[in-house]
Amino acid sequence: MNEKSKLAEQKANPAYLTGEQRNLGVSRELLHQSQDSLSARLRAGDRAVATELVDKYYEQIYLFMRRLGHDRHAAEDLTQETFFSAWHHIGQLKDDKALNGWLYRIAANVSRLHWRRHRHQETVGIEQIDVADSGEAGPDAAGRREQLGQVRDAVARLSANLRQTIVLHYMQQLTIAEAAEAAGVRQGTFKSRLNRALRALKESMA
Amino acid sequence: MDEKKIHGLLTELGRRWTEPVRPALGEEIKQRIPHRLSRHKIGWETVNIIIDLRLSKSVAAAAIVLAMILLLNLFGGRDSSVRGILQDSVLLVKYWGGATENDVSVLRSKYEHLLARGEDVRWYGESVDRKDGLALLMHHRLSNGNYMITFVDGREREVDSEELVELLARMLQRKAK
Repeated sequence: MNEKSKLAEQKANPAYLTGEQRNLGVSRELLHQSQDSLSARLRAGDRAVATELVDKYYEQIYLFMRRLGHDRHAAEDLTQETFFSAWHHIGQLKDDKALNGWLYRIAANVSRLHWRRHRHQETVGIEQIDVADSGEAGPDAAGRREQLGQVRDAVARLSANLRQTIVLHYMQQLTIAEAAEAAGVRQGTFKSRLNRALRALKESMA
Repeated sequence: MDEKKIHGLLTELGRRWTEPVRPALGEEIKQRIPHRLSRHKIGWETVNIIIDLRLSKSVAAAAIVLAMILLLNLFGGRDSSVRGILQDSVLLVKYWGGATENDVSVLRSKYEHLLARGEDVRWYGESVDRKDGLALLMHHRLSNGNYMITFVDGREREVDSEELVELLARMLQRKAK
């Protein structure tokens, strides 16, 4: 790995940045630079980078699967399958393509195929909502937990496409561009899906 | 509840709707990293098309058969009317589906089909010895003046008129014996 890419990755670590830099949005830009170098090394077949990729993403992908409604066991299997599939499609990773979008797209496809094979399987989301560190206590915390529980249940009732839209953007915190890439649609289509999902949630929670 | 509040709740839910991930999972995934990372390029679009078609095998096979027949009809200068295509399809399906059970009846269907299309075709099936592998079942005159002959076992060969006469004569001789 050359010094330049090492430096870029080091700088991409949010801990390295000052608060001011974070406010200026430098973090995301550097993160993209870091992803670019990671992508380039992956395409070159660097196995060490593959390990790095697993460390960086396996929790995110597992939670993505769980938030899409897969049970623990299936979520673990599908996470493994996502990476397995990723190793076989490294050739499609482009410089200008965000790593996030590429990996999540594979994950979304893996999830979709699983639902197709198990049409009648019920969704089993994460039950737990952690409000312990929110600083609220007593009735406030309970009320907050209840509201979040309502939103979670409403998300679970959405159609698979709309649920995925919400999960990609809000839960996995992908940008519109990354989430659209992950969903395999244009950004405009993704935005309109997001609006539909928000409207559906609003109606569901009215 | 207004959209702004839902937006806020969703953002918060993203942080709080979580659970611990089994730490060994990462190691298990790492163990499955291939020694040589593949770099072949099959576009995701291609993969998605294959996945999203959701065709069953029989539907896919029927689509291929239909496409082949259409191409044959379009580029082979044959009857491309709907009826012609339909007959070809039936014949092809019969041929693929039942050739091993009853070859002669399939070939008979082909003969009838050619006859219906006004082709110069002759059937010997009624008088032929079906145990004789060299016996002719039918012949069909081609546009170039030659004949396409079909043996009892389904083999086909293009011959000229002289060869056809010779083959028919030999067949009669064998039958006489």
